[in-house]
Amino acid sequence: MTEKGFDVQDFARGIHELLVLSSLQTGEKHGYQIALDLQADSNDLFRFKHGTLYPILHRLEGEGLIKGSWSKDGGRRKKVYSLTGKGRKHLSGETGRVQEIVSGLMRLLPAPSEVPA
Amino acid sequence: MTARRARAFLSTLRKVERHLGVPVPARVKILRELEFDLEELRGRLEAEGLCPEEARARALEALVPDPGTLTELGELYTPRYRRLTGHLDQDVVRVLERSTLAIMAAGLLAAGALALSRADLFRDPSPFLWAVLALGGISIFLAAGEGFALWVKRDHQLSRGGPRLILALAGVTLGLGLFGALLDAYQLVATTGGAAAFMLPESFESFEWFARQAGLLTASLVLALAGGLAWFVLTQWLTLVSGARLDVLGLDPTATRQQEVR
Repeated sequence: MTEKGFDVQDFARGIHELLVLSSLQTGEKHGYQIALDLQADSNDLFRFKHGTLYPILHRLEGEGLIKGSWSKDGGRRKKVYSLTGKGRKHLSGETGRVQEIVSGLMRLLPAPSEVPA
Repeated sequence: MTARRARAFLSTLRKVERHLGVPVPARVKILRELEFDLEELRGRLEAEGLCPEEARARALEALVPDPGTLTELGELYTPRYRRLTGHLDQDVVRVLERSTLAIMAAGLLAAGALALSRADLFRDPSPFLWAVLALGGISIFLAAGEGFALWVKRDHQLSRGGPRLILALAGVTLGLGLFGALLDAYQLVATTGGAAAFMLPESFESFEWFARQAGLLTASLVLALAGGLAWFVLTQWLTLVSGARLDVLGLDPTATRQQEVR
């Protein structure tokens, strides 16, 4: 997202990143757990399909906003993600920006009752 | 049970691996993560009451990257060096890489030669020393090239031929040094008619002779050790990466060359 205005694709990507970051606020999770929780918490509004979650997770990890760590679970290696301090700060700042954009959008859009059928 | 479950997604992992254009170490980590998530999600969906086939299909649909996602992952893991040089003519880049490595190898060799000359071991060098230094230079160039490809370009499509050649050169370097020293000793004995020269420590010729041999043996030993070390590090790294890849894909580590690191 840019300082003033926003690129739609960047915005969509940013939203996904924020959703992942917000999901990790409650504690560390595996990739699939993040996807399941977001799906459940949004009443199926946000569903990750075709592995689209992985580039988001790996990008956030590369930027230091989340931290991936490996451990063993019954002989298998699992990777869990947790939110970093930088990620927490980013989440707080970007949440404010998204709210600003959404409220700006809501001001522009008519209420459903005002739209002629 | 774990092994049986892991096998359930092996063909999927192999298919994904074929289209995942990221360096092998990152590829292995992505596949391990994917496998665990697939297993866990399938288990969760089965526990929620879905039949095994449906649970499997849903897990695959949610987690297995489609071509667009694989491309995105590939871009994420593009090595920084490739990002910097990707827009340049690759032939020019190749020439620049080789020139830089050759200059580095020559620089290292010159630094070594300088250290030897400061130690006064170059006053009357053995003719074998030049051959030893030349072989050492080639070894350094090869080792730097392999290291550069592995750790800077993140290109793991290396055969074991490179490290083996470095090891062979190290052996030849050491052998040449020893042969040169023995030949010099033989010539000395032949020209002095026995061990007379060794029995005159104050003799200037005797000191010169020892200094010459010390220079030759030091250079050949140090260069051979460096070559051996380079071989060890490169081979260990390749084995580690290759083993991890074969392990995640459920392939036999003792199997054929086609299965080795790509």
